[in-house]
Amino acid sequence: MSLVELLAAALLLLSALVVVRASNAVHAALALIANFLVIAAVYVGLEARFVAMTQVIVYAGAIVVLFLFVIMLLSAAQANVGKDLLPGLQVPAILGSAALAGVLIYALSRFSAPANPGVLNGGLPQALGPLLYGPEKWLYALLLVGFLLLVATIAAVVLVEPERIVPEARKPAAEEKELVER
Amino acid sequence: MTDPLWMVGIKAFLVVFGLLTAFAYMTLIERRLLARFQVRWGPNRVGPMGLLQPLADAIKSILKEDIVPTKADKVVFVLAPVIAITFALVGFGLIPFGPKGAFFGFDPWVINLDVGILYLFAVSEMAVYGIFLAGWASNSKYSLLGSLRSSAALISYELALGMSLLAPVMLVGSLNLQDIVEWQDKHVWLILPMFPAFVLFTIASMAEAARTPFDLPEAEQELVGGYSTEYASIKWALFQMAEYVHLITASALIPTIYLGGWKMPGFIPDIPYLWMFLKIALFLFFFIWIRATWFRLRYDQLMRFGWGRLFPAALVWFLVVAFYVALNGGKA
Repeated sequence: MSLVELLAAALLLLSALVVVRASNAVHAALALIANFLVIAAVYVGLEARFVAMTQVIVYAGAIVVLFLFVIMLLSAAQANVGKDLLPGLQVPAILGSAALAGVLIYALSRFSAPANPGVLNGGLPQALGPLLYGPEKWLYALLLVGFLLLVATIAAVVLVEPERIVPEARKPAAEEKELVER
Repeated sequence: MTDPLWMVGIKAFLVVFGLLTAFAYMTLIERRLLARFQVRWGPNRVGPMGLLQPLADAIKSILKEDIVPTKADKVVFVLAPVIAITFALVGFGLIPFGPKGAFFGFDPWVINLDVGILYLFAVSEMAVYGIFLAGWASNSKYSLLGSLRSSAALISYELALGMSLLAPVMLVGSLNLQDIVEWQDKHVWLILPMFPAFVLFTIASMAEAARTPFDLPEAEQELVGGYSTEYASIKWALFQMAEYVHLITASALIPTIYLGGWKMPGFIPDIPYLWMFLKIALFLFFFIWIRATWFRLRYDQLMRFGWGRLFPAALVWFLVVAFYVALNGGKA
Protein backbone atom coordinates (compact mmCIF):
# COMPACT_ATOMS: atom_id res chain seq x y z
CA MET A 1 0.00 0.00 0.00
CA SER A 2 1.39 3.34 -0.96
CA LEU A 3 1.04 6.55 1.02
CA VAL A 4 -1.52 7.95 -1.44
CA GLU A 5 -3.70 4.87 -1.10
CA LEU A 6 -3.59 5.08 2.67
CA LEU A 7 -4.43 8.76 2.55
CA ALA A 8 -7.36 8.13 0.21
CA ALA A 9 -8.68 5.34 2.43
CA ALA A 10 -8.38 7.54 5.52
CA LEU A 11 -10.17 10.41 3.77
CA LEU A 12 -12.94 8.09 2.61
CA LEU A 13 -13.55 6.72 6.10
CA LEU A 14 -13.31 10.13 7.72
CA SER A 15 -15.74 11.83 5.32
CA ALA A 16 -18.17 8.90 5.58
CA LEU A 17 -18.03 9.24 9.36
CA VAL A 18 -18.84 12.96 9.08
CA VAL A 19 -21.78 12.14 6.78
CA VAL A 20 -23.25 9.88 9.44
CA ARG A 21 -22.35 11.89 12.53
CA ALA A 22 -22.72 15.56 11.50
CA SER A 23 -25.63 17.23 13.24
CA ASN A 24 -26.05 19.73 10.42
CA ALA A 25 -27.53 18.14 7.31
CA VAL A 26 -25.77 20.56 4.94
CA HIS A 27 -22.41 19.73 6.51
CA ALA A 28 -23.24 16.04 6.09
CA ALA A 29 -24.05 16.60 2.41
CA LEU A 30 -20.77 18.50 1.96
CA ALA A 31 -18.88 15.59 3.50
CA LEU A 32 -20.72 13.31 1.08
CA ILE A 33 -19.46 15.41 -1.84
CA ALA A 34 -15.93 15.15 -0.47
CA ASN A 35 -16.40 11.40 -0.21
CA PHE A 36 -17.54 11.19 -3.85
CA LEU A 37 -14.60 13.27 -5.03
CA VAL A 38 -12.10 11.05 -3.22
CA ILE A 39 -13.83 7.95 -4.57
CA ALA A 40 -13.55 9.39 -8.08
CA ALA A 41 -9.81 9.82 -7.49
CA VAL A 42 -9.63 6.20 -6.34
CA TYR A 43 -11.40 5.13 -9.53
CA VAL A 44 -8.83 7.03 -11.60
CA GLY A 45 -6.12 5.25 -9.66
CA LEU A 46 -7.80 1.94 -10.52
CA GLU A 47 -7.83 2.82 -14.24
CA ALA A 48 -11.56 3.48 -14.41
CA ARG A 49 -11.54 7.02 -15.76
CA PHE A 50 -14.96 7.19 -17.37
CA VAL A 51 -16.60 5.89 -14.21
CA ALA A 52 -14.59 8.41 -12.18
CA MET A 53 -15.82 11.34 -14.25
CA THR A 54 -19.39 10.02 -14.23
CA GLN A 55 -19.13 9.67 -10.47
CA VAL A 56 -18.32 13.35 -10.14
CA ILE A 57 -20.86 14.52 -12.73
CA VAL A 58 -23.83 12.40 -11.68
CA TYR A 59 -23.33 11.76 -7.98
CA ALA A 60 -21.48 14.83 -6.77
CA GLY A 61 -22.85 17.16 -9.42
CA ALA A 62 -26.49 16.12 -9.71
CA ILE A 63 -27.67 13.88 -6.90
CA VAL A 64 -26.18 15.76 -3.96
CA VAL A 65 -27.39 19.01 -5.53
CA LEU A 66 -30.87 17.50 -5.36
CA PHE A 67 -30.32 16.51 -1.72
CA LEU A 68 -29.16 20.02 -0.91
CA PHE A 69 -32.12 21.58 -2.70
CA VAL A 70 -34.45 19.55 -0.52
CA ILE A 71 -32.54 20.27 2.69
CA MET A 72 -32.43 23.98 1.98
CA LEU A 73 -36.01 24.37 0.79
CA LEU A 74 -37.35 22.53 3.83
CA SER A 75 -34.97 24.37 6.19
CA ALA A 76 -34.05 20.94 7.47
CA ALA A 77 -30.38 21.59 8.13
CA GLN A 78 -30.78 21.18 11.90
CA ALA A 79 -32.42 17.79 12.14
CA ASN A 80 -32.11 17.05 15.85
CA VAL A 81 -34.46 19.73 17.09
CA GLY A 82 -37.11 17.30 18.33
CA LYS A 83 -36.87 14.44 20.79
CA ASP A 84 -34.87 11.32 20.10
CA LEU A 85 -37.72 9.07 19.02
CA LEU A 86 -35.81 5.83 19.40
CA PRO A 87 -33.61 6.18 22.48
CA GLY A 88 -31.06 3.51 23.25
CA LEU A 89 -30.68 2.48 19.63
CA GLN A 90 -27.19 3.91 19.27
CA VAL A 91 -25.34 1.01 20.88
CA PRO A 92 -27.15 -1.71 18.89
CA ALA A 93 -26.61 0.29 15.70
CA ILE A 94 -22.87 0.55 16.34
CA LEU A 95 -22.70 -3.17 17.21
CA GLY A 96 -24.65 -4.06 14.07
CA SER A 97 -22.43 -2.07 11.77
CA ALA A 98 -19.33 -3.48 13.46
CA ALA A 99 -20.65 -6.99 12.89
CA LEU A 100 -21.35 -6.22 9.22
CA ALA A 101 -17.85 -4.79 8.82
CA GLY A 102 -16.42 -7.90 10.48
CA VAL A 103 -18.25 -10.23 8.10
CA LEU A 104 -17.15 -8.21 5.07
CA ILE A 105 -13.52 -8.12 6.21
CA TYR A 106 -13.59 -11.88 6.78
CA ALA A 107 -15.08 -12.49 3.34
CA LEU A 108 -12.57 -10.20 1.62
CA SER A 109 -9.62 -11.75 3.44
CA ARG A 110 -10.52 -15.15 1.91
CA PHE A 111 -11.08 -13.67 -1.56
CA SER A 112 -8.31 -13.51 -4.12
CA ALA A 113 -8.84 -11.23 -7.11
CA PRO A 114 -8.49 -12.75 -10.59
CA ALA A 115 -5.48 -11.71 -12.62
CA ASN A 116 -5.81 -8.21 -14.05
CA PRO A 117 -7.90 -8.59 -17.22
CA GLY A 118 -6.36 -5.44 -18.73
CA VAL A 119 -8.81 -5.07 -21.59
CA LEU A 120 -10.50 -1.89 -20.46
CA ASN A 121 -7.90 0.49 -21.91
CA GLY A 122 -7.81 2.70 -18.84
CA GLY A 123 -11.59 2.61 -18.52
CA LEU A 124 -12.05 5.06 -21.37
CA PRO A 125 -15.52 5.42 -22.91
CA GLN A 126 -14.14 4.10 -26.22
CA ALA A 127 -13.53 0.76 -24.51
CA LEU A 128 -16.74 0.76 -22.47
CA GLY A 129 -19.12 1.67 -25.33
CA PRO A 130 -19.01 -1.67 -27.15
CA LEU A 131 -19.58 -3.48 -23.85
CA LEU A 132 -22.53 -1.29 -22.89
CA TYR A 133 -24.18 -1.32 -26.30
CA GLY A 134 -23.14 -4.79 -27.38
CA PRO A 135 -26.13 -7.18 -27.58
CA GLU A 136 -24.07 -10.02 -26.14
CA LYS A 137 -23.09 -7.94 -23.11
CA TRP A 138 -25.07 -5.23 -21.38
CA LEU A 139 -27.42 -3.85 -24.05
CA TYR A 140 -30.60 -5.26 -22.54
CA ALA A 141 -29.59 -4.18 -19.06
CA LEU A 142 -29.00 -0.70 -20.48
CA LEU A 143 -32.44 -0.62 -22.08
CA LEU A 144 -34.00 -1.76 -18.83
CA VAL A 145 -32.18 1.02 -17.01
CA GLY A 146 -33.59 3.47 -19.55
CA PHE A 147 -37.07 2.13 -18.81
CA LEU A 148 -36.37 2.45 -15.09
CA LEU A 149 -35.41 6.10 -15.56
CA LEU A 150 -38.63 6.73 -17.48
CA VAL A 151 -40.64 5.16 -14.66
CA ALA A 152 -38.69 7.17 -12.11
CA THR A 153 -39.42 10.42 -13.95
CA ILE A 154 -43.14 9.71 -14.18
CA ALA A 155 -43.25 8.60 -10.56
CA ALA A 156 -41.51 11.76 -9.41
CA VAL A 157 -44.00 13.92 -11.32
CA VAL A 158 -46.99 12.01 -9.96
CA LEU A 159 -45.68 12.11 -6.41
CA VAL A 160 -45.09 15.84 -6.48
CA GLU A 161 -48.27 16.95 -8.26
CA PRO A 162 -50.97 14.37 -7.50
CA GLU A 163 -53.92 16.72 -7.95
CA ARG A 164 -53.00 17.56 -11.54
CA ILE A 165 -52.59 13.94 -12.51
CA VAL A 166 -55.99 12.77 -11.25
CA PRO A 167 -58.21 11.97 -14.27
CA GLU A 168 -60.92 14.52 -15.02
CA ALA A 169 -63.70 11.93 -14.61
CA ARG A 170 -62.98 11.48 -10.94
CA LYS A 171 -63.09 15.12 -9.98
CA PRO A 172 -66.89 15.74 -10.12
CA ALA A 173 -67.44 12.72 -7.92
CA ALA A 174 -65.14 14.14 -5.30
CA GLU A 175 -66.96 17.46 -5.45
CA GLU A 176 -70.32 15.74 -5.03
CA LYS A 177 -69.06 13.93 -1.99
CA GLU A 178 -67.93 17.26 -0.59
CA LEU A 179 -71.40 18.68 -1.20
CA VAL A 180 -73.03 15.73 0.48
CA GLU A 181 -70.83 16.17 3.50
CA ARG A 182 -71.86 19.79 3.78
CA MET B 1 6.17 12.12 -23.36
CA THR B 2 4.68 14.26 -20.66
CA ASP B 3 6.14 17.08 -18.65
CA PRO B 4 7.75 16.46 -15.26
CA LEU B 5 5.58 17.16 -12.26
CA TRP B 6 7.42 20.32 -11.19
CA MET B 7 6.84 21.80 -14.63
CA VAL B 8 3.14 20.97 -14.43
CA GLY B 9 3.08 22.80 -11.09
CA ILE B 10 4.80 25.85 -12.55
CA LYS B 11 2.46 25.90 -15.52
CA ALA B 12 -0.58 25.53 -13.27
CA PHE B 13 0.65 28.48 -11.21
CA LEU B 14 1.22 30.52 -14.36
CA VAL B 15 -2.26 29.71 -15.64
CA VAL B 16 -3.85 30.70 -12.33
CA PHE B 17 -1.81 33.89 -12.15
CA GLY B 18 -2.52 34.67 -15.79
CA LEU B 19 -6.23 34.05 -15.40
CA LEU B 20 -6.43 36.33 -12.37
CA THR B 21 -4.62 39.09 -14.25
CA ALA B 22 -6.80 38.44 -17.25
CA PHE B 23 -9.87 38.71 -15.02
CA ALA B 24 -8.72 42.05 -13.65
CA TYR B 25 -8.09 43.50 -17.09
CA MET B 26 -11.20 41.85 -18.47
CA THR B 27 -13.24 44.00 -16.07
CA LEU B 28 -11.46 47.11 -17.32
CA ILE B 29 -11.84 46.16 -20.99
CA GLU B 30 -15.47 45.30 -20.44
CA ARG B 31 -16.17 48.65 -18.79
CA ARG B 32 -14.31 50.52 -21.54
CA LEU B 33 -16.07 48.59 -24.31
CA LEU B 34 -19.49 48.96 -22.72
CA ALA B 35 -18.76 52.66 -22.51
CA ARG B 36 -17.81 52.78 -26.19
CA PHE B 37 -21.04 50.99 -27.10
CA GLN B 38 -22.89 53.70 -25.22
CA VAL B 39 -20.82 56.53 -26.76
CA ARG B 40 -18.95 57.52 -23.61
CA TRP B 41 -15.43 56.99 -22.29
CA GLY B 42 -15.41 54.58 -19.38
CA PRO B 43 -12.71 54.57 -16.67
CA ASN B 44 -9.76 56.64 -17.93
CA ARG B 45 -8.50 58.49 -14.85
CA VAL B 46 -6.40 55.96 -12.91
CA GLY B 47 -3.23 55.53 -14.92
CA PRO B 48 -2.88 56.01 -18.68
CA MET B 49 -6.10 54.92 -20.42
CA GLY B 50 -7.35 53.71 -17.05
CA LEU B 51 -4.83 50.86 -17.05
CA LEU B 52 -4.27 51.05 -13.29
CA GLN B 53 -7.98 50.89 -12.53
CA PRO B 54 -7.98 47.09 -11.89
CA LEU B 55 -5.09 47.55 -9.47
CA ALA B 56 -6.95 50.29 -7.63
CA ASP B 57 -10.05 48.14 -7.47
CA ALA B 58 -8.06 45.19 -6.14
CA ILE B 59 -6.38 47.28 -3.43
CA LYS B 60 -9.72 48.72 -2.40
CA SER B 61 -11.24 45.26 -2.32
CA ILE B 62 -8.47 43.83 -0.13
CA LEU B 63 -8.41 46.72 2.33
CA LYS B 64 -12.18 46.71 2.80
CA GLU B 65 -13.58 45.30 6.02
CA ASP B 66 -14.37 41.64 5.50
CA ILE B 67 -17.75 41.10 7.13
CA VAL B 68 -19.14 37.71 8.12
CA PRO B 69 -22.79 37.97 9.16
CA THR B 70 -23.39 36.95 12.79
CA LYS B 71 -25.94 34.27 12.02
CA ALA B 72 -24.12 32.90 8.98
CA ASP B 73 -22.74 29.36 8.95
CA LYS B 74 -19.10 30.43 9.36
CA VAL B 75 -17.38 27.42 7.77
CA VAL B 76 -19.62 27.18 4.72
CA PHE B 77 -19.69 30.95 4.33
CA VAL B 78 -15.92 31.01 3.90
CA LEU B 79 -15.84 27.79 1.92
CA ALA B 80 -18.33 28.86 -0.75
CA PRO B 81 -16.21 31.52 -2.55
CA VAL B 82 -13.20 29.21 -2.35
CA ILE B 83 -15.16 26.43 -4.06
CA ALA B 84 -16.43 28.85 -6.69
CA ILE B 85 -12.99 30.14 -7.64
CA THR B 86 -11.21 26.77 -7.40
CA PHE B 87 -13.51 24.94 -9.74
CA ALA B 88 -13.59 27.89 -12.10
CA LEU B 89 -9.78 27.91 -12.38
CA VAL B 90 -9.07 24.20 -12.78
CA GLY B 91 -10.95 23.85 -16.06
CA PHE B 92 -8.67 26.07 -18.10
CA GLY B 93 -5.55 23.90 -17.96
CA LEU B 94 -6.82 21.49 -20.61
CA ILE B 95 -6.94 23.97 -23.44
CA PRO B 96 -4.10 23.53 -25.94
CA PHE B 97 -2.41 26.71 -27.13
CA GLY B 98 0.03 25.12 -29.55
CA PRO B 99 1.77 21.90 -30.63
CA LYS B 100 3.79 19.72 -28.28
CA GLY B 101 6.85 21.52 -26.95
CA ALA B 102 5.66 24.99 -27.88
CA PHE B 103 6.15 26.28 -24.33
CA PHE B 104 9.98 26.59 -24.19
CA GLY B 105 10.31 22.90 -24.95
CA PHE B 106 7.42 21.94 -22.72
CA ASP B 107 3.79 21.37 -23.63
CA PRO B 108 1.57 24.45 -23.96
CA TRP B 109 -1.14 22.98 -21.72
CA VAL B 110 -1.20 22.00 -18.07
CA ILE B 111 -2.85 18.61 -18.31
CA ASN B 112 -3.87 16.51 -21.24
CA LEU B 113 -6.69 14.13 -20.32
CA ASP B 114 -8.17 11.37 -22.43
CA VAL B 115 -11.52 12.25 -20.92
CA GLY B 116 -11.00 15.99 -21.28
CA ILE B 117 -14.54 17.03 -22.09
CA LEU B 118 -16.00 14.91 -19.31
CA TYR B 119 -13.54 16.54 -16.95
CA LEU B 120 -14.70 19.98 -18.03
CA PHE B 121 -18.27 18.96 -17.27
CA ALA B 122 -17.40 17.56 -13.89
CA VAL B 123 -15.60 20.76 -12.98
CA SER B 124 -18.37 23.05 -14.12
CA GLU B 125 -20.92 20.94 -12.25
CA MET B 126 -18.90 21.32 -9.09
CA ALA B 127 -18.65 25.08 -9.60
CA VAL B 128 -22.41 25.31 -9.05
CA TYR B 129 -21.81 24.47 -5.39
CA GLY B 130 -20.07 27.77 -4.82
CA ILE B 131 -23.23 29.71 -5.63
CA PHE B 132 -25.41 27.19 -3.95
CA LEU B 133 -23.65 27.13 -0.60
CA ALA B 134 -23.10 30.89 -0.58
CA GLY B 135 -26.83 31.52 -0.57
CA TRP B 136 -27.51 29.04 2.19
CA ALA B 137 -24.59 30.01 4.41
CA SER B 138 -25.59 33.69 4.35
CA ASN B 139 -28.63 32.76 6.44
CA SER B 140 -30.84 35.17 4.54
CA LYS B 141 -34.00 34.19 2.70
CA TYR B 142 -33.20 36.53 -0.19
CA SER B 143 -29.76 35.07 -0.66
CA LEU B 144 -31.11 31.54 -0.40
CA LEU B 145 -33.81 32.14 -3.00
CA GLY B 146 -31.33 33.88 -5.27
CA SER B 147 -28.87 31.03 -5.02
CA LEU B 148 -31.49 28.32 -5.54
CA ARG B 149 -32.68 30.15 -8.62
CA SER B 150 -29.20 30.61 -10.03
CA SER B 151 -28.12 27.06 -9.41
CA ALA B 152 -31.33 25.65 -10.89
CA ALA B 153 -30.69 27.73 -14.01
CA LEU B 154 -27.04 26.68 -14.21
CA ILE B 155 -27.88 22.99 -13.85
CA SER B 156 -30.60 23.24 -16.49
CA TYR B 157 -28.29 24.83 -19.03
CA GLU B 158 -25.53 22.37 -18.22
CA LEU B 159 -27.68 19.63 -19.78
CA ALA B 160 -28.01 21.51 -23.05
CA LEU B 161 -24.29 22.24 -22.89
CA GLY B 162 -23.46 18.55 -22.59
CA MET B 163 -25.94 17.48 -25.24
CA SER B 164 -24.58 20.02 -27.74
CA LEU B 165 -21.04 18.75 -27.20
CA LEU B 166 -21.96 15.13 -27.90
CA ALA B 167 -22.39 15.69 -31.64
CA PRO B 168 -18.87 17.03 -32.38
CA VAL B 169 -17.39 14.43 -30.02
CA MET B 170 -19.10 11.67 -31.99
CA LEU B 171 -17.81 13.03 -35.27
CA VAL B 172 -14.23 13.29 -34.00
CA GLY B 173 -14.39 10.10 -31.96
CA SER B 174 -12.38 11.43 -29.04
CA LEU B 175 -12.93 13.35 -25.83
CA ASN B 176 -9.41 14.76 -25.91
CA LEU B 177 -9.17 18.45 -26.81
CA GLN B 178 -5.89 17.99 -28.69
CA ASP B 179 -7.46 15.27 -30.82
CA ILE B 180 -10.36 17.58 -31.58
CA VAL B 181 -7.98 20.34 -32.70
CA GLU B 182 -5.97 17.89 -34.83
CA TRP B 183 -9.13 16.52 -36.44
CA GLN B 184 -10.20 20.02 -37.41
CA ASP B 185 -6.79 20.71 -38.92
CA LYS B 186 -7.01 17.52 -40.98
CA HIS B 187 -10.64 17.85 -42.08
CA VAL B 188 -12.60 21.02 -41.57
CA TRP B 189 -13.41 23.42 -38.76
CA LEU B 190 -16.25 21.87 -36.80
CA ILE B 191 -18.31 25.06 -37.01
CA LEU B 192 -19.13 24.21 -40.64
CA PRO B 193 -20.62 20.71 -40.25
CA MET B 194 -21.73 21.41 -36.67
CA PHE B 195 -23.21 24.88 -36.92
CA PRO B 196 -26.37 24.09 -34.88
CA ALA B 197 -24.23 22.55 -32.11
CA PHE B 198 -21.99 25.62 -32.18
CA VAL B 199 -24.94 27.96 -31.73
CA LEU B 200 -26.42 25.84 -28.93
CA PHE B 201 -23.08 25.56 -27.17
CA THR B 202 -22.48 29.30 -27.36
CA ILE B 203 -25.90 30.09 -25.94
CA ALA B 204 -25.56 27.51 -23.19
CA SER B 205 -22.11 28.69 -22.20
CA MET B 206 -23.40 32.25 -21.99
CA ALA B 207 -25.89 30.95 -19.48
CA GLU B 208 -23.20 28.96 -17.69
CA ALA B 209 -21.10 32.06 -17.22
CA ALA B 210 -24.25 33.94 -16.15
CA ARG B 211 -23.96 36.57 -18.86
CA THR B 212 -26.72 38.59 -20.43
CA PRO B 213 -29.34 37.51 -21.47
CA PHE B 214 -29.10 34.91 -18.73
CA ASP B 215 -27.58 36.97 -15.92
CA LEU B 216 -30.46 36.82 -13.48
CA PRO B 217 -28.21 35.57 -10.66
CA GLU B 218 -26.72 39.03 -10.39
CA ALA B 219 -29.62 41.19 -11.41
CA GLU B 220 -29.27 44.12 -9.01
CA GLN B 221 -32.94 44.91 -9.22
CA GLU B 222 -34.01 41.37 -8.46
CA LEU B 223 -33.85 39.64 -5.10
CA VAL B 224 -31.39 42.30 -3.89
CA GLY B 225 -28.55 40.84 -5.93
CA GLY B 226 -28.93 37.11 -5.37
CA TYR B 227 -26.52 34.78 -3.66
CA SER B 228 -23.70 37.25 -3.05
CA THR B 229 -25.77 39.78 -1.12
CA GLU B 230 -24.07 39.15 2.23
CA TYR B 231 -20.55 39.02 0.87
CA ALA B 232 -18.08 41.87 1.09
CA SER B 233 -14.46 42.58 0.34
CA ILE B 234 -12.27 39.81 -1.07
CA LYS B 235 -14.92 37.07 -0.81
CA TRP B 236 -17.25 39.03 -3.05
CA ALA B 237 -14.35 39.65 -5.41
CA LEU B 238 -13.72 35.90 -5.55
CA PHE B 239 -17.25 35.32 -6.86
CA GLN B 240 -16.73 37.99 -9.50
CA MET B 241 -13.42 36.38 -10.41
CA ALA B 242 -15.02 32.96 -10.73
CA GLU B 243 -17.65 34.34 -13.06
CA TYR B 244 -15.14 36.04 -15.33
CA VAL B 245 -12.88 32.99 -15.35
CA HIS B 246 -15.90 30.96 -16.49
CA LEU B 247 -16.42 33.48 -19.25
CA ILE B 248 -12.77 33.33 -20.34
CA THR B 249 -12.83 29.53 -20.26
CA ALA B 250 -15.98 29.49 -22.38
CA SER B 251 -14.41 31.92 -24.85
CA ALA B 252 -11.40 29.62 -25.09
CA LEU B 253 -13.42 26.41 -25.36
CA ILE B 254 -15.66 27.55 -28.20
CA PRO B 255 -12.75 28.21 -30.61
CA THR B 256 -10.92 25.09 -29.42
CA ILE B 257 -13.85 22.85 -30.23
CA TYR B 258 -15.49 24.61 -33.14
CA LEU B 259 -12.96 27.02 -34.69
CA GLY B 260 -9.81 24.94 -35.04
CA GLY B 261 -8.09 25.93 -31.81
CA TRP B 262 -4.67 27.47 -32.34
CA LYS B 263 -4.53 26.36 -35.98
CA MET B 264 -5.61 28.31 -39.01
CA PRO B 265 -6.71 26.81 -42.32
CA GLY B 266 -4.92 26.92 -45.65
CA PHE B 267 -1.98 29.20 -46.32
CA ILE B 268 -2.12 31.08 -42.99
CA PRO B 269 0.79 29.90 -40.83
CA ASP B 270 -0.10 28.13 -37.56
CA ILE B 271 1.30 30.38 -34.87
CA PRO B 272 0.90 28.89 -31.38
CA TYR B 273 -0.72 31.16 -28.79
CA LEU B 274 -1.39 34.06 -31.17
CA TRP B 275 -4.41 32.67 -33.03
CA MET B 276 -5.81 31.23 -29.84
CA PHE B 277 -5.54 34.55 -28.01
CA LEU B 278 -7.12 36.33 -30.96
CA LYS B 279 -10.01 33.89 -31.06
CA ILE B 280 -10.52 34.21 -27.30
CA ALA B 281 -10.54 37.99 -27.66
CA LEU B 282 -13.05 37.71 -30.48
CA PHE B 283 -15.49 35.76 -28.35
CA LEU B 284 -14.95 37.96 -25.31
CA PHE B 285 -15.77 40.97 -27.49
CA PHE B 286 -18.84 39.17 -28.77
CA PHE B 287 -20.05 38.43 -25.23
CA ILE B 288 -19.52 42.03 -24.15
CA TRP B 289 -21.33 43.21 -27.25
CA ILE B 290 -24.31 41.00 -26.34
CA ARG B 291 -24.25 42.38 -22.81
CA ALA B 292 -24.30 45.96 -24.07
CA THR B 293 -27.12 45.47 -26.51
CA TRP B 294 -29.47 42.85 -25.17
CA PHE B 295 -32.23 42.53 -22.60
CA ARG B 296 -32.40 40.04 -19.77
CA LEU B 297 -34.74 37.06 -19.73
CA ARG B 298 -37.27 36.74 -16.96
CA TYR B 299 -36.74 33.67 -14.75
CA ASP B 300 -39.66 31.64 -16.12
CA GLN B 301 -38.64 32.52 -19.68
CA LEU B 302 -35.10 31.49 -18.85
CA MET B 303 -36.17 28.06 -17.65
CA ARG B 304 -38.67 27.55 -20.45
CA PHE B 305 -36.07 28.45 -23.04
CA GLY B 306 -33.48 26.12 -21.50
CA TRP B 307 -35.71 23.08 -21.12
CA GLY B 308 -38.21 23.67 -23.89
CA ARG B 309 -36.03 24.93 -26.73
CA LEU B 310 -32.32 24.50 -26.14
CA PHE B 311 -32.31 20.99 -24.73
CA PRO B 312 -34.67 19.39 -27.31
CA ALA B 313 -32.81 21.13 -30.13
CA ALA B 314 -29.51 19.73 -28.86
CA LEU B 315 -31.09 16.29 -28.56
CA VAL B 316 -32.42 16.37 -32.13
CA TRP B 317 -29.09 17.49 -33.54
CA PHE B 318 -27.34 14.76 -31.55
CA LEU B 319 -29.64 12.13 -33.08
CA VAL B 320 -29.09 13.46 -36.62
CA VAL B 321 -25.31 13.31 -36.22
CA ALA B 322 -25.57 9.89 -34.56
CA PHE B 323 -27.44 8.54 -37.59
CA TYR B 324 -24.88 10.03 -39.95
CA VAL B 325 -21.92 8.63 -38.03
CA ALA B 326 -23.55 5.23 -37.58
CA LEU B 327 -24.41 4.95 -41.31
CA ASN B 328 -20.79 5.74 -42.14
CA GLY B 329 -19.67 2.79 -40.06
CA GLY B 330 -18.64 4.85 -37.03
CA LYS B 331 -16.29 7.10 -39.01
CA ALA B 332 -16.79 10.66 -40.15
